[in-house]
Amino acid sequence: MAHQWGMVIDLDRCTGCEACVVACHAENNISTVGEDQARRSRAKHWIRVERYYEGEFPDVQVKFMPVLCQQCDAAPCEPVCPTFASYHTSEGLNGQIYNRCIGTRYCANACPYVVRYFNFFNPVWDKPLNLQLNPDVSVREVGVMEKCTFCVQRIKAGEIKAEAEKRELKDGEIQPACVQSCAPRAMVFGDLNDPESEVSRLANSGRATKLLAELGTRPKVTYLQRDAWHGHENA
Amino acid sequence: MATKTPEQITEDLMRPMWGLSGRYVLAVAFLAGVVVAALCAFMWQVYAGLGVSGLRTPVFWGFYITDFVFWIGLSHAGTLISAILRLANATWRRPVTRCAEVITVFALSIGATFPIIHLGRPWLAFWLFPYPSERGLWPNIRSPLLWDFFAINTYLISSVTFLLLPMIPDFALIRDRANGWKQKVYGALSLGWTGTPRQWHRLETAMHIMAIAVIPVAVSVHSIVSWDFAMAPVPMWHSTIFAPYFVAGAIFSGIAALILAMALLRKFLHLEDYLLPIHFENLGKLLLVMSLLWFYFVFAERLTAWYGNETGEMPVFWTTQHGTYAGLFWLMVFCNFLIPVPILAIKKFRTILGTALASFTVVIGMWLERFLIIVPSLSHKYLTYSWGTYRPTWVEITITAGTFCAMALLYMIFSKVVPLISIWELKAGLHAAPHTPRVVVEPSEAGAD
Amino acid sequence: MATPYAIYGLFPTPETAERGFNALDRAGVSPSRIIVMASEPFDEYAFSKMDHATPMPYIAALGGIVGGVGGFFLARLTQEAYPIITGGMPLLAAWPTGIVTYELTMLGAVITTIVTLLVTTKLPNWKSKLYDHEVSHGKILIGVIEPSSAMRAEIENRLRGAGAVKVKITGGQS
Repeated sequence: MAHQWGMVIDLDRCTGCEACVVACHAENNISTVGEDQARRSRAKHWIRVERYYEGEFPDVQVKFMPVLCQQCDAAPCEPVCPTFASYHTSEGLNGQIYNRCIGTRYCANACPYVVRYFNFFNPVWDKPLNLQLNPDVSVREVGVMEKCTFCVQRIKAGEIKAEAEKRELKDGEIQPACVQSCAPRAMVFGDLNDPESEVSRLANSGRATKLLAELGTRPKVTYLQRDAWHGHENA
Repeated sequence: MATKTPEQITEDLMRPMWGLSGRYVLAVAFLAGVVVAALCAFMWQVYAGLGVSGLRTPVFWGFYITDFVFWIGLSHAGTLISAILRLANATWRRPVTRCAEVITVFALSIGATFPIIHLGRPWLAFWLFPYPSERGLWPNIRSPLLWDFFAINTYLISSVTFLLLPMIPDFALIRDRANGWKQKVYGALSLGWTGTPRQWHRLETAMHIMAIAVIPVAVSVHSIVSWDFAMAPVPMWHSTIFAPYFVAGAIFSGIAALILAMALLRKFLHLEDYLLPIHFENLGKLLLVMSLLWFYFVFAERLTAWYGNETGEMPVFWTTQHGTYAGLFWLMVFCNFLIPVPILAIKKFRTILGTALASFTVVIGMWLERFLIIVPSLSHKYLTYSWGTYRPTWVEITITAGTFCAMALLYMIFSKVVPLISIWELKAGLHAAPHTPRVVVEPSEAGAD
Repeated sequence: MATPYAIYGLFPTPETAERGFNALDRAGVSPSRIIVMASEPFDEYAFSKMDHATPMPYIAALGGIVGGVGGFFLARLTQEAYPIITGGMPLLAAWPTGIVTYELTMLGAVITTIVTLLVTTKLPNWKSKLYDHEVSHGKILIGVIEPSSAMRAEIENRLRGAGAVKVKITGGQS
C-alpha cells in the first residue's frame, strides 16, 4: 500500500525553542528576509511556533504551537490554483511545483492555516550563509509561492535508498528536518497507512485533536494536548 | 428647446471630433503623464518584485484586486443601459447607449489588466490560456481564476462587438464628410457601408441578438468574479450571497459611472440639446433603485453574519463595524446610501448636478466596498496569531491612479475619433417616437445640401 | 470595379421616398433591381421592408451550441489529458465544467452573429462604387440598377414626379 505521510506534534512537550524553525530554514534553502521585511510580515517560516498566553499573572500559562502545512486531504489551496502548481500527490502530500507557479496567491488566501509564503523579493543569503544551501532543494525565485513539503527531498531519498536496498522503509527512518531537530521529541513523522507506526499510534491517542478540523480540510497533522484551550491571546 | 434638422443633429454630434483646444491638449498631457507614471511603477514592480507593494502575510490581495473587481463592476454600465433598455424599448436610451458601451469596453479592458498586474510572475500570465503546452499541462478548470479568464474574455469580445457594430453607419457618415487620410481610415472602418435595407435589417437583428446574449454574460462575469472570493474558506468570504450581491453592486457602480460620464460630456462637448435633464432623471431613478438594492444586500449579509455569531466571522464583522476599518465602512455607507438616496429620491434634487454628485459619491463608495470585502477578511482569518494589517505603497496608489486617468484618457481620445452619441440611432428614434425627446425633426428643405 | 449603370433619385423625406418607391413598383420594375440607400433604418416604411426574414437568430443559436459543445469537451478532455488531483475534488468536476461550457456557448453565439452579419451583408465591401454622398446628408436614395433602355425615361419621370430632389444616372450605357 502506498505511504500516507503524516505527523503528530505533542503540544504538552513543545518548549517553544524554535529549533524546528531554524532547521527548516537550513534544510529547505529558505532565506531570511531582514528585520524590515520581517516587521512587514513577509518572513517565510515554513514552520512557525505560535505562542498563546492564558490567564493573568502570576497564573500565566504559555502554550506553544508549531504550525506548518497540514498537507490536507481536502486542501482548499489546491482547486484554486489555475496552473496546478498546488496539487495532491499519491502519498498524501500537498505538493508545490515552483515552476508552475505564476504567483496569483489565491492558494495563500484560501489556506486557513496561513502556512503558505510568497517570495516578495528574490531570496538573499548574507555571507557566509550562501555556502550552506542544500543541493537537494531548489531555490525559489521572486513571485513564487512556497510552503512546507514535509521535506519531500528526504522522503524521496529514503524511498530510493530502501528500494535500492530491496527492503521496506522502517518507521522513523525518514525524518523531516523539524522532526529531527526537536529536542523534547515533540514531533513524530511517519506513515499513517502503517498501523504499527508510531505516528498512527499517537494519532489515535485520547489527546489527539486537529487544527481547524471543522473547516473540512482533513489535515494530516495531529496535535496532542491534554487540556483544551480556553482563551486565545497571541504574544 | 431648439428644433433641429437632421443635418444639424449630425453636425452637432460630429463637432466635438474636430479640432484640439488648448484645454484638451493640457488635459490629455496630464492624464497621459499619470498613466506613464503608473507604467513605470509597474515596471519597477516587475523588476524588483511584489515586495514593493504593501502586500504581506496574510493579506495577499489588496489594492490590485480591489481595482480589478471595481473596474469589472463598472463595466456593467453599458450592458444594462444598452441591452436591457434596448430590449425594453425604452426610447430615452438612444443618446446614452454609446457613452455607456464605451465605458464598458474601456473599464473592462482596464479591469482585465489587473489579473496580470498582480501576478508574481506576470510574464507567465499566458499559462491561463488553454493551449497544448510542451509540458502537456492544461489549466485547472476547478480554479475560479480560470472561470474569470473565460468569462472576462467572452464579455470583452461581446462588449466590443456591441460597441463596434452600431458604429459602422456612423463611420460611414464621417467618411462622407472627411478628406484625405481621415476619409481612408473611416472608409476602411465603415466596411463599405451604404445603408441598404438589407444592411440595416441585418445590423438591427444582430444588435438584438447581441442585446439578448450580453445580459446573461454580464451577470455571469460578475458572479464569477465574486466566486474568486466565495470559493475560498475565508471568514465572511465564503457566503452564498456573493454572486447576486456583486452583480447588483456592479450595475450600481456602472450606472453611477455612466451618469458621471454623461454629465462631464454634456458640459465639455456642449451636448446640452441631446443629453437632456430627463435622461439624468431616468438614470437617477435607476441609480436610486440600485442604491436601495445595494443596501438590502449589505443588510442581509451583515445581519446573517451577526446572528450566525461564528467564531471565525465575528472578528471580521466587528473590525468593520467599530474596529480598524470602521471609518472606511461608515464612509462607504455614507457614499453609497446616505448621500445618494435623499438626492435621488427627492425630485427637486434629481437634477443633472444632483445625480452627478450622487454618482460621484457612489463611485467612491463602491471602490471602498471592494476594498472592505477583501482586506478585513484576509486580515482576520481563523488563526489569531496570523492576523495582519495592510497599507498600500506608492506603487499601488500610482497604478490605481493611473487606471482612473487611463479611463479618462481613453474616453477623451475616443471622443475625437467617434461621435459619442450614436447619430443614426438618435435620428431613427426621432422617427419612431417623435414626441419623446425635445428635439423636433423638420425635413431638410428640398434642394438644400 | 466600374460604377454600375443605375438611375436613382434622391428624396428629401421618407414620405417622398415612399412615393418614389411605390412609383417604381407600379412601373413594373422587379424588386431585385430596385436599390435603396438611407442613413437611417426607416423601418416603418415600405421601401425598407425589402429584405426577407433572416435566420440569423437560429444561426446564432446553432453557433452557441457549437461553442457549448466545444467548451464541454475542452473542460473535460484537458483535465483528462494530464490528470492531477486537487483538493479531494473529482477530476471531471460538474460545476466548473458547466461554467466553462456556458461561457463558450455565449461566445459561440456572439461570434457566429458577427460572422453571419458580415457574410449576409457582404461586408466589408470597399470596392462597390454605387453610392451617393448625399445619402449621409439625409437624402434617401431610391433607384434602379441596370434599367432597360426602354424604361429609362419612364423611371426618370416617375422619380421626379414622386418628389426627387435630384435624379442621377451613373455608370456607362447598357
